[in-house]
Amino acid sequence: MMKESLLLVHSNLRKAKGQMVSIAVLVLLSSLMLNLWLMLSTDYKQNFERVHTRLHAGHVTLAVDDNSNEMRDFLTEMNKKDSRMEEISLTPAMHMVSSFSYNGGEIHSEFVFLEKDTAFGRPVGRAEMVEDSSYTSGIYLPVLYKSEDIDVGKEVEMLVGSRKISYIVCGFFNSVMAGSHNCSICEAVLTEDKYQELEESGCAPEAALCAVRLKDKSESEDYEAMLKNAVSERYPHVRMVSNSYALVSQSRYISQMVCSGLLSAMAFFVLLIALVVIASNIIHYIGENMKNLGALKAIGYRSRQLTGALLLQFAGAAVTAALAGAGLSYCLFPSLNEMMVSQTGIPYPVRFLPLPFLVSVGILGGSVSAVVCVSSRRLKRIEPVTAFRQGVQTHNFRRNRVPLAETRVSLIPALALKTALSNVKHNAIICITMLVLSLFVVFSGLMTENMIVNMEPFIKLIVGETADSCMNVNGKKEEEFLREMNLDSRVEKIYLYHQTEVRHVDGISLMATVCDDFTKVNNQEGVFEGRFPKYDNEIAVAAKYAGEQNLKAGDEITVTADGKEAAYIITGFTQTSNNLGKDCLLTREGYERMGELQNASYYLNLEEGVDVDEFHREMKNRFGSEMNTVVNVGAAVAGGVSVYMRLMKAIVAAVLLLSALIITFVLYLLVRTMLGNRRRDYGILKALGFTTGQLILQTAFYFMPAVVISTITGIVLCSFIINPLTGLFLRGIGIVKCTFTVPVSFAAAGGAGLIVFAFAAACLMSLQIRRITPKTLLF
Amino acid sequence: MGEIVLKTENLSKSFSSGGALQHVLKNISLELYQGDFTVIMGASGAGKSTLLYALSGMDTPSLGKIAFGEQVISDFNQDELALFRRRHCGFVFQQIYLIDGMSVMDNVLAAGLLVNKDKKAVVRKAEELFDAVGISEEIRKKFPAQISGGEAQRAGIVRGLMNSPEILFADEPTGALNSKTGFDVLNVLSKFNEQGQSVVMVTHDMRSARRGNRILYLKDGVILGECDLGRYVHEDQARQEKLAGFLAEMGW
Repeated sequence: MMKESLLLVHSNLRKAKGQMVSIAVLVLLSSLMLNLWLMLSTDYKQNFERVHTRLHAGHVTLAVDDNSNEMRDFLTEMNKKDSRMEEISLTPAMHMVSSFSYNGGEIHSEFVFLEKDTAFGRPVGRAEMVEDSSYTSGIYLPVLYKSEDIDVGKEVEMLVGSRKISYIVCGFFNSVMAGSHNCSICEAVLTEDKYQELEESGCAPEAALCAVRLKDKSESEDYEAMLKNAVSERYPHVRMVSNSYALVSQSRYISQMVCSGLLSAMAFFVLLIALVVIASNIIHYIGENMKNLGALKAIGYRSRQLTGALLLQFAGAAVTAALAGAGLSYCLFPSLNEMMVSQTGIPYPVRFLPLPFLVSVGILGGSVSAVVCVSSRRLKRIEPVTAFRQGVQTHNFRRNRVPLAETRVSLIPALALKTALSNVKHNAIICITMLVLSLFVVFSGLMTENMIVNMEPFIKLIVGETADSCMNVNGKKEEEFLREMNLDSRVEKIYLYHQTEVRHVDGISLMATVCDDFTKVNNQEGVFEGRFPKYDNEIAVAAKYAGEQNLKAGDEITVTADGKEAAYIITGFTQTSNNLGKDCLLTREGYERMGELQNASYYLNLEEGVDVDEFHREMKNRFGSEMNTVVNVGAAVAGGVSVYMRLMKAIVAAVLLLSALIITFVLYLLVRTMLGNRRRDYGILKALGFTTGQLILQTAFYFMPAVVISTITGIVLCSFIINPLTGLFLRGIGIVKCTFTVPVSFAAAGGAGLIVFAFAAACLMSLQIRRITPKTLLF
Repeated sequence: MGEIVLKTENLSKSFSSGGALQHVLKNISLELYQGDFTVIMGASGAGKSTLLYALSGMDTPSLGKIAFGEQVISDFNQDELALFRRRHCGFVFQQIYLIDGMSVMDNVLAAGLLVNKDKKAVVRKAEELFDAVGISEEIRKKFPAQISGGEAQRAGIVRGLMNSPEILFADEPTGALNSKTGFDVLNVLSKFNEQGQSVVMVTHDMRSARRGNRILYLKDGVILGECDLGRYVHEDQARQEKLAGFLAEMGW
C-alpha cells in the first residue's frame, strides 16, 4: 500500500510544487513561533528557578536600616521561630535610594550596597560574577545594566541619597532576587575600599540584609508580610524594603510573558491560516480530480490508500517544515534572548530543548493530519461511476450572479467579481487571512502609537502616576517643606503620593499609595472602575487582586499597618503593573487610622521650563539630610520604559514582516491554484483578445472583494476588541482593562496598506499569466 | 475575387522536439480574400491548425511575414496581437472553448464588451446573432455544461462574430459534433459567408470542406495545391466530384 501511496504523492507533488512550498512556509513560520513560545514559556521561565537554586537564593529578602545586634538578634529569632523558614542569612549592608543614568533615562531604585566578598559569599542569596576585571576599586552592577555607557572600566555617576559618587565599573554580577530595579531591592557591590568610603560618608545608613529560604516558596508573600509586620510593630520608625519570590519571579519576566503571549497568538493564527489553506487545497483537489480519483478507485485503489497519499503528502510536508521551523527558531532565539535579558537581567544560556521542539512538531504534524483526514472524508464516498459523472456535472446549476448584460461594473472587474462570487473556498481563506492580518496591523498600530510615538498612554497604564519631580522628606520637616513649596512660583502643583506597605488581613501584603487629595493626581484614570477614595474609611484596590479575592465595590476589607487594623469600604479598582496587581489607594486620613507616615513622598508638577535637576539640587541644599530622596520622574520613567520601547519596536517590525510574508504566501498559493484551474479559460480569453495586463488585473481584482471586505471588517472589529485582547496579555502584570489609544488613522492606513499590498502581490503573482498563450489551446 | 485581407510571405514555423527541429510550415506564401470561404485541408500533422493559428495572430511564425492590410502582424508583440485578434479576428474552435463559469450570453458579451463599451449595443448585437443561429433566450441564460454540443458551437460562432471580424477562423468546427449538429453549424457558417463574412476553416472532413469556395491543400508544411469550388449554394454532385478529384490529385 505504501508504494502505491508514494506513487500518488509523487504525482501530486509534481503537479503542485508551488502550493506545497507555500503551505510549508506557513507551517514553518507557525512552527518557528510555536517553538519560541514554548521555549520562552517553559524553560526560559524555569531558568529563574534554576538560577535561584544554583545561587541558593532567598524566597524573601528584607533590608532593614538598622544593623545593630539587637535588630540582628530580633530578625534571627523571628525567623527561627517560624516553622516555614528553612535557612536564613543576615548580612551587613548599606541601604539608600539611589539613581544613575541608564539608556537615556535614569534608574531609580532602593539600592542595597554590599561589600564584594560578602556579596559573592553569602550563604543565602549570593551574587554570581558574570564579568570581572582587573579593576580593584569601584563598583559591580547587575548585568542588566551593562550597556554602551555602562561597561567595564567606564565611570558611572551614582546619586546615593543626596550625594553624587563616581565609581569605576569593575564588572557585572547576577543576583536573582536583587538584580534589577523591578525587584523592589537592587544590589550594588562595592570593592572593600569603596564600601568603607561610603560607610564613612554616612550618606547611606547601615542596614541588615536578611535573606530567608522557605520550605515552601508559595508562602513567600505571606512570609514577607509577616516579617515586615513584625519588624514594624517592634520598630515602628525603622525604614525597610523587601521583596518576595512571588513578586520577583513575575516582575522580572514581564517582557517574557508579553512576548510569549504574542508569539503563541501569532503561531496559532498562522497555523489556523495554514490549516484552512490545506483543507481548501484538499477539497479543491478532490473536486478537480474527481474523475482521476474515480479512475483510481475503478482500478482497485481503496479510499484508505487515497487518503494515505494525501496524509503522506501534507503531513509529510508539514512535519518537514515544522522540523525546519523549530530548527530555525534556534537561529532567532539568541537575538530574542538578548532582548529578553535586557529586561529580566538574568542571563539565559541558549541550548537545545527537546520537549518544546517535539511538542511544536507534534502539534503541527497532528493538526495537519487531523485536517487532512477530515477534509478527505469525501474520498470514502466516491464511487467510480459517480465520480466520472460528477466530473461532468461540476459546473451545472450554478447561478449567474453577475450577468454582464445587466451589471453596471465594467468588463474586467465584472469578470473578476463573477469568479470571486463563485469561489467560496478561496474567499474563506482570504477572509480568515485578512482578518488575522488586520488584527496584526491594529495591534502594531496600537503598540506604535502608545509605546513608540506617544508613550503617555503606556506610561499611564503601566507606570501609573507620573509628575516632574518626586521628593521624600522626613516627617518633622514636612510642614516646612510644604510651606516652601506652596510659596515657590516654580511649583505648579504638589500633592502627597507616598507608597508604603499595608496588609489585607484576609490576604496578602499590598503596596498602598497614600494621597492627601486624589483629585490632584495627574493620572485620573488610575481608578478605571468606581472612584478614588475620598474619606478616611475608603479604599481602592487593584482589580487583579480584587478578582482573586472576589472583592466587589462596596465590600468592606480590613487592612493592617504599623500593627494596627482598620476597616475600609472599597470605592473602586486600580490597575498598574508596579506591584503586579497587588496594590491599593488610601487617603492620608485613611492611612493614619493605622499608622503615622515617618516620611512623606510628594509629587510635584513644575512650571514649564524649570530645570528639574537644578530644582532638586536647590532643595537638597535647602533641606539637607531631611530630604531623603529626590527623583526626576520623567528621567526615571524614560530609563525604565526604554527596554519596553526597544522590545515593542522589534515586535512591531516582526509582526509587520510576518504579515507581509503571510499575505504573499497565501496569495501565491491561491493565484497558483487559480492559474492551474483556469489555464484553459485564460487561453480562451487571450484568444478572444484579452491582453496579459487585463488578465493580470482581472486576477488581482478577483481577490479584492474578499480582501477589501474582510480587511475593513477586520480593522473595524479589531479596533474595538484590541484593548480587551491586549488586556488578556497584560493580565499577569495587573492590567485588567486596557485603555490604550486606538490609532484610527494608523489602523485605516494599515488597512489600506494591506489592501494595496495584497493587490500588488496578487498582480505580481499573476505575472505567470504572461506564459499562457492562446496556442495552449492547440496542444 | 475580393480584396486581399491577409497575406503571408515565406511563412515558416518550426518546433523543437526532443532536441530536433521540426519544420511544420515551410515558406508558405498565400493571400486571403475578402468574402471568401477558404478551407484548409490536409492529413493529420500536415500543419493545418498551425497555419490557422499563425494567420490569426494566436501564434507567431518562426520566419516570414504576415500582413493584415498595412500592418505586419508577424512583428507584433503579444499585447499587440491580442488587440489585433479582438478587433479583426473571430474564432470557432473544435473543442468550442466556452468558459464554463459563464453563462452562454456572458461568454458572448465578454468578447463583445472588450471592443465596444456601449453595453446596450453589444447586447443588441448578441441577441441578433443568437436569433440568427437559432439559440433561444432560455439557452442563452444557461451555462455551457447545460447545453448540447451543437448549441454550444453555434454560441461559439456568435462569440466569434460579435466584433464583426474581418476574418472568422474556424478550427475543425464540426470535429466534436455529430453529423446532424455538424450540418447545422456548417449552415450557420455558410449563411454568414453569404452575407459577406470571410471565413477560413481548417477541416479534414470532405463534407465540411465542400462549403468553401477556395480549398487549399496542405501537406508536410507546404501548400500542395488549390482548388476553386465556386460559391456554395447547396450540395450538388458536381461540387462533390470536383473536390474529390482535387483531393485525389493531392494524394488524399
